[in-house]
Amino acid sequence: MTERPTRTAGRTRGEIVALAALVVILVGFPAGVLLYQFVVRPAVADVRTIDLLARVPETGGITPETIKVAAGEPVRLRVSVPDVTHGIAIGPGLALDLGHVDPGQVKEVRVTFERPGRYTVYCNVWCSPNHWRMRSTILVYDPARPDAALPSDAPDPVIESLAARHVDLDAPHEAPAVPARPFASERGARVVDRLGPALPADLARPEWRRRHSPAQAWARLVAAGLARDEAWDAVAHLWVGALDGARLEAVATLFRKNCAACHGESGDGRGPGAAALAAQGIGQHGGAAAPKKPAAFTRAGSMLGGTSELYYAKVRRGGMGTGMPSWGPVLTRDETWMLVDYLWTLQFRPARAPRV
Amino acid sequence: MTRARLWLLLPFGALALVVLLVPLPFAPAPVTRELTVVARQFAFEPPVLRVNRGDRVRLTLEASDVVHGLHVDEYGVDARVEPGIARRVEFVADRAGKFRYRCSVSCGPLHPFMTGELVVSPNLPFVRAVGLTLVVLAATLVSLRRLPPGGAPGTT
Repeated sequence: MTERPTRTAGRTRGEIVALAALVVILVGFPAGVLLYQFVVRPAVADVRTIDLLARVPETGGITPETIKVAAGEPVRLRVSVPDVTHGIAIGPGLALDLGHVDPGQVKEVRVTFERPGRYTVYCNVWCSPNHWRMRSTILVYDPARPDAALPSDAPDPVIESLAARHVDLDAPHEAPAVPARPFASERGARVVDRLGPALPADLARPEWRRRHSPAQAWARLVAAGLARDEAWDAVAHLWVGALDGARLEAVATLFRKNCAACHGESGDGRGPGAAALAAQGIGQHGGAAAPKKPAAFTRAGSMLGGTSELYYAKVRRGGMGTGMPSWGPVLTRDETWMLVDYLWTLQFRPARAPRV
Repeated sequence: MTRARLWLLLPFGALALVVLLVPLPFAPAPVTRELTVVARQFAFEPPVLRVNRGDRVRLTLEASDVVHGLHVDEYGVDARVEPGIARRVEFVADRAGKFRYRCSVSCGPLHPFMTGELVVSPNLPFVRAVGLTLVVLAATLVSLRRLPPGGAPGTT
């Protein structure tokens, strides 16, 4: 009697083994990877890992778009990029900047969000004409009250006050008079010293200066009997006084990273991003012949007619029908004021703006 | 060529060597060259930089779309540049030759082809070139001159 191979449901044992191997490879391998990523790793890891994929907005931007994290819960953020170099930072007020993330690189940061609120993951390196759309949100909730409204949703008093006074943020604000010669804030310091108590009391108050334009202050000084050029120098001195030393250096870095791509390093509105936006027709509305350009902070006419609080509101709200993003979700109020002060430095004391 | 002509040209050859090798009373002043290179996807503008050996090269590097880098082969120059933030790079071109420079930050699908060329010419001062030209000119004139009938002594 000859021995025959054992058959089960019409198959030889060898066939069954081969089939099992095939199933293990085709099903088991991907299943194992997914199991590791979604079950084993979270169970084994000491903290939750959140994978962020940052791409140019044309192909998806930063994903996931919204992340929920409990306050006080440590998390590990892993950022990778598949296309071009991005700069990943999280704000406001966290001082969390991962710097450049190159394609193929994975950057990790362990972070604990102490206070509930709405935080923004954003790109701070110009990466595409839509770079400014590249954001995602981290919602940090209070574990004791997960459904409570987040504190950063509270309205901004400065913007509220502008709205209450019916100030149109988009109205043109051309100064009625512009200086005939370059500013000299050092000369202005001497003028202000000389005036002493004769300086109109309003001008000495920072709150008044925030609400009034340099052109208005200049008119007051001229009315008080100052020569036109001297009055401009004094205004220059009063408006740039706020920034110096380390603060100036810090805000210059902030400006270079987030603003210079469009507004230019010197603030002349001619950064490479401006050309990219114009080429895409971003900022072109209602049959306008040319797209609205990024503001030039070095231009006297438009700059001197605006107030600090107006620029503060513009920076935080953004929009303007252009590529200007809203910086409210990214910058703290203090950082925004510093940025506005820096704009005055670009206008009044261009040589003092630090260079690379 | 007859031996007479050869004898005639010998002094010119010696003169040419003198012109090439004699130390000049003034040192060839190295120039500082201010150059701007704009990097975009996927090219450098200008694609070729020409300098002389010994020049101090002061590059202003700009990017117009995404982050790029500039790496000059054999010069150890490597810088990355962000759109909007100009970078200044300085080096002394102390080696003559052609050197490839390339983008050193992965900037897109054609990134590997984003290259340019740094041409460092040997710094032959203008005077030497003029002198050499004059010597060659004189030698040509002399050698083309008709020899007296019967030839010079020593020729057949």
